[in-house]
Parts: sequence; C-alpha cells; structure tokens
Amino acid sequence: MAVPIEMPKLSDTMEEGVLSAWLVDEGEEVSSGDVLAQVETDKATMDLEAFDEGVLLKQVIAEGDAVPIGELIAVIGEPGEDISDLVGDAGGDGAATAEPEPETEGEAEEEPSESAPEPEPEVEAEPAPEPSGDGQLSEREPEPVPAGTDAEGRRIKASPLARRIAQEHDVELAKVDGSGPEGRIVRRDVEAWIEEEEAAPEPAAEPSPEPTPEPAVEEPTYAMPDEEAAFEREDISQMRKTIARRLAESKYSAPHYYLTVDIDVEMAVDLREDLNELAEEQGRAKISFNDLITKACALSLHDHPYVNAAYRPDEGEIHKHNRVHIGIAVAIDEGLITPVIRDADRKGLSELARETKALAERARNRDLEPQEFEGATFTTSNLGMFGIEEFTAIINPPNSAILAIGEIRDTPVVEDGEVVPGKCMKVTLSCDHRVVDGAKGAAFLDTVKSYLEEPMNLLL
Amino acid sequence: MATLQFREALREAMTEEMERDDDIFLIGEEVAEYDGAYKVSKGMLDQFGHDRVIDSPISELGFAGLGIGAAMNGLRPIVEFMTFNFSFVAFDQVINNAPNIRYMSGGQFDIPIVFRGPNGAAGQLGATHSNSTEALYSNFPGLKVVSPSIPDDGKGLLKTAIRDDDPVVFLESELMYGMKREVSEESDYTIPLGSARVAREGDDVTIVAHSKSYHIAMDAAEQLEEKGYEAEVIDPRTIKPLDIETIVESVVKTNRLVVVDESNPFTSVASEITHQVQDRAFDYLDAPILRVTAPDTPAPYAPNLMDEYMPGADETVDKCLRVMYAQ
Repeated sequence: MAVPIEMPKLSDTMEEGVLSAWLVDEGEEVSSGDVLAQVETDKATMDLEAFDEGVLLKQVIAEGDAVPIGELIAVIGEPGEDISDLVGDAGGDGAATAEPEPETEGEAEEEPSESAPEPEPEVEAEPAPEPSGDGQLSEREPEPVPAGTDAEGRRIKASPLARRIAQEHDVELAKVDGSGPEGRIVRRDVEAWIEEEEAAPEPAAEPSPEPTPEPAVEEPTYAMPDEEAAFEREDISQMRKTIARRLAESKYSAPHYYLTVDIDVEMAVDLREDLNELAEEQGRAKISFNDLITKACALSLHDHPYVNAAYRPDEGEIHKHNRVHIGIAVAIDEGLITPVIRDADRKGLSELARETKALAERARNRDLEPQEFEGATFTTSNLGMFGIEEFTAIINPPNSAILAIGEIRDTPVVEDGEVVPGKCMKVTLSCDHRVVDGAKGAAFLDTVKSYLEEPMNLLL
Repeated sequence: MATLQFREALREAMTEEMERDDDIFLIGEEVAEYDGAYKVSKGMLDQFGHDRVIDSPISELGFAGLGIGAAMNGLRPIVEFMTFNFSFVAFDQVINNAPNIRYMSGGQFDIPIVFRGPNGAAGQLGATHSNSTEALYSNFPGLKVVSPSIPDDGKGLLKTAIRDDDPVVFLESELMYGMKREVSEESDYTIPLGSARVAREGDDVTIVAHSKSYHIAMDAAEQLEEKGYEAEVIDPRTIKPLDIETIVESVVKTNRLVVVDESNPFTSVASEITHQVQDRAFDYLDAPILRVTAPDTPAPYAPNLMDEYMPGADETVDKCLRVMYAQ
C-alpha cells in the first residue's frame, strides 16, 4: 500500500514549506524514523522523517519548491507499486524503481492507431479538437478574460457559442453586430461576419498605423550602464513572508500606542559589573544588560496581568497568562526570530543569561525547535547596540505589548540639585490598546523602571 | 405490436413479472377487490389470489413500511399509492428507510421494492391532489425515479423496475391511463433505467420533456415544423438516473434547449437538467436555457385558472422561438 507523504505543519505559523534538500533518492529504501528531506519553514530548517517502511517511490516536488501544508511531496511504498492514482498525471514517469514499463503510459502509446473510422463519437469520449460550433462536445477552451468590450468600453454580450466560434476564427467580437436581445451576439451573427469576410476581396484594411517617426528631440543622456538590470531579484523567503504577514496583521488589527520612559541605569550598570566579576571567577555565563531588562520585565509582568495578555476576539476573551514567557527578538542573516525564555520570572540571572545566549546562538544557526520560538507572552527588542537612542517596535502577535530598548548613554543627570554625569536608557513600550489602556501601560513601565533603578530587587 | 391502454401495458408488466417470480406481490388501497382505483390491477386478484394481490387499509405509512420489511426479508413488493399525493403520509418510509437501508446496513439488505401510482396534476383535483413529486424523490440518494410518457415505455420500464434490487419510484398519470398506443409484444420486453428516448430528431432546438409534458413537447414540435423549424424531442423516461449524455449530445448539435416540466419550477427536474447542461455544454449554448413549467403557486381548482396553470404547447413553441432568436 503506497503511502503519500504530505508537507507537515512544522510550526504554529507555518503555511507553506520549502523542500530545501532531499536526503533520500527515489528508489532508496527507507524505514520509520529516517530523515527523508529537509524542509525550510518560516522559522527554521527542519527534518522531515519517514513514519513508514518501504521504498521512496517518488519525489513529487523538487528541491527548492515551496508547497502549502498538506500538499503531496513524496510517496513511499512497495517497489514497482502503481502510484498513478496518488500522484496523478505526474506519476507516469515516476516509476523510480526501475520498472520496465510504467503501466499507465505504456498502453496508450502501444495501442495501434486504427485505420478504421472512429465509431460514433460519444459525448464523454476523448475530446477531439473539433473546430466548429455544432460538432461534438469538446474540452472547453479558456475564454479570453476579461470579456471584450466595445469601443465605448461596454462589455460585449455574446452567447457562449458565439464566443467560441469567434475565438476559433480569430474574429474580434467588437466588430460583429449582435442580433439577439439587447444586442447579444449569437452564432448566426458571427457566422455571417465570417462569411462576409471570406466573400470580400482582400480587405483594403486600414493600414496599421505606421509608427510616426519620432520628432528629433535631443534626449538628455543619462549614462545608465547598458544591459544592467534596474534591480536584483530575490525570492521572498519563508521567514520574510512570515515577518511580513504577522507584522502587517499586528499593525493592522492592534491599535498601537507608545510610551517612552528614560531610566537611570547607573546602579544597574554597576551591579552588572559586580555580578560579572563573580561570574568570571565562578566560570559562569556573563550577564548582559539585556538580561537585567528581561528579568525586570518578567518580574513586572507579574503585577500587570493585562500587559502579559492576549486579545482573542474570535473567542470573545482576553487571555491573561499565568506564566511569563519572554520573547527576545534576535536579528539573524535572513531576518528576525524571537526565541522564548520560558518562565523568565522564575529564573535567576545566571540561568537567564546562559539560556538567552544559547537560544540566540541556535537562532542564528536556524537550529531552533518550534517550541523554542513559540508561546511568548511578552517580547523585547533591543537596538541599543546599534546606537539607537529610542524607537518603537511592532507588537509580536498575539502579545499585547512589546518593549523597545534603546542604548545606554552617558548623559548629565540632576542628583540632589547638582548636575552630574549619569547613565540613562530610554525604553518604549508599544501597547495594544484593545487590552492595555494608557494608564496600565504607564504603570507597567513604572515598575520596570523601579526594578532597573533599584536593581538589587532583581536579585531577591 | 399490440395497441394497449397505458393501464393495460402496466398490468401486463406486473402480471408477466408475477408469473415469472412468486416473490412479487402487489399491495395498496383497492388494488384487489375493486381492481384498482384506476383499474390498473384489473383481474389480477382472480389470477394471483389474496396472498399476492392485497387490499390494504387506508394507511400509507403502514403498508409502505410493510413493503420495505417484506423486501428486507426477500420478497419483491409492488406498493401502489392511489396517487402520489398520498405518498406524503408515508414519507419517512419512502425517503428515509427504503433508500438508506442498503447503505446503513453495509449492503446486507437489498430493497427490491417499487412504489407506483399516478403523479402530478390531473384536471380539477385541487392543490392537495395535484402535486408533482419527481423532483422531490429524485433528491434522495438511493431512490430511482421513473416517469414514462407512453404505454410501451411504461411496460418495459415497469418490468425493469420490478426486477431492480433497489427501491424505484414509478410515476404514472391519471390522465394517461386511458391513452392507447402501440406496445411491443416481444416476450420479456424490458427497457433499461437511465436511458432516454429521442422521440423526434431535429437540428434547430432541443426540447426535453417527460410524462405528460412529453406530449406537449411533441405538439409543440409539430407546430414548429409548420413554421419551418425542426425540434429534437427527448424523453428522459428515467428521471434518476438521468441520461444526461443523450441530452447534452443533442444540445451540442442544436445549441438551444427548452425543458418542459409540469412541476412547480423551483428546484425542479427542469432546474437540474438546466444546470447539468450548462455545466457540460456551456460553450455550445447560443441562448439561455428556458423552461416551461407550472408557476410557483399551489394548483388552482377553477378550470380557467387550471388551463393557465398547466404548461402548454403554445408556450413551448414561444420559448423555442425565443431561444432560436426567431421572434
């Protein structure tokens, strides 16, 4: 029994996958658990495993092809098995198993063409390319689309049969007068037109307007390098498609507003230095400033359930998450991915640091498993390392907020009435107003700010 | 060829089949002692006795169900409804049990039963006794629906229906029982279900019509001939399975179709034929498909209104001229 292999759904958001490489050739034996191919999804490149034993009878799609979830991509079965019903027309040449002749196609060719006249054509028989209107039923030719219009741009009304005859005789329906109701062109009109055309002497047809010679105008010459294309083409990758779809959907459906706050991070910077000295001594992962922010957000989210929520209009509900999973946007060559730190509120800074680093590394190698980039309840995005002072981010659906983190900058601050050098950082919270109202967003930011300004609380 | 009334042709079919197969019996109101409300079963009680020609009480739901039970147990009942208007009180048996038992039992039971009787309007009978049921019964998978227009077809098709192992709804007409036409005397004369009859050939327009409407179509075709047009008339004979191939073949030749169907128009046999033809022969149509049907109202009683209500040859001619753009 041949088994069809279909494009599996390898991530929550996947709609189609690209078959990036076949790892098993047609005709090779496979057993359950063997990796048949690699599939590039919107998020990662994943292995496609076989669940059945047999021979890979047919690779239905080629490397590089993208197909939607559920589409047939391969067939596994017994050697020599007839799989034409599974693969349809494409199957004829599919006999990967060195079968002497694929049954389906062989017969048709070997059938000697009979010289005897064909029996009375049956309606359902193979369509013969019978040209005229009252022949037998033949396969419908695609109609010219859209239907023609007359000189004034009105749709030309013609019976299906009249259109067909016109198409077969290259008659422009716009030139034919219709005698049917409301000027409908019917068979007799087209036939009459054809007859007239044939009877008429070679029509002294209006000469096709000759191209009028260009007036000799001095063209300014821009020295565009000849033959050079105006742009380079690049196929839109799965990841880019997903980014485009999800972010457009977010901006489209979630009414965003933005709250920016400047945070004095002098103490946090000092704390981090102290912690990292310890970490170095103990051989632990160094803590990045971003880890402090992750921790601050995670702890704050506890007190602000609407910021850690999802708006689910289809269900008529808002889901306030009981757990805190923080997505961290990571730029990679192909685009962007947000690995998720699960239960970030319950993890110590060292653990957060180690996990974030490992996930970011795997993200850059596109090695993340779906469960490692799905299920965030809140997201942060940090462009501080690029010298960005502040920016606004687009909410990562179905989150209700995202925190955009700017650079830590040296700036004068007022301390006890004195202007002194200080370190500040601007963060901007993008909120989905359907869930998080202004005051709620501001309260959340205030909590984040207080954690970072008194960072010892992060350690408690 | 013998010249027989429609009722005689049907009686011959039943009698011949009952002589051939002892498992067949006829049951219905007045079928035995009274020789049938329309004398279709005249003399059959004398020939076959009370065991095989059975007068039922006025209880359609009961005797239709009895027939289905008998069929499940290996007999081959012919259940006569005095008219198909009365089949509605047996609706559950006819539409829910008869066609579904084979399917729901995984093929364990054949239901070789024929429900027969007159169908459609028959003069001044009023709204409740003038229903056309062919579209209704054709809608249920598992039922075959036969509706002959001439005695010869009536005989050949009824014999086939009785031999069929699935339930068949066999629709006759009060107004045609007395119609005398030639009937084949061939022994064991049967006509397969699902095969249409091209009653008249022509190149200009196709008219499809069954049962009484067929005769309207033939009248219309004669009028059209006087005007110089050749109509092709096709009687599908079996509504389901429908011989759509024959109809499509004709439309591919004539490029025009008028369907005459005395039923109410909404979701009628005419609607179905129209759909199937446009689906299969769209590019061969030179005009919209037109129908000649009863209006979408209950049947009236007053004779002048009834004349207006029923489809007629003039209206058919008129619609044929329209699809030929000949008006």
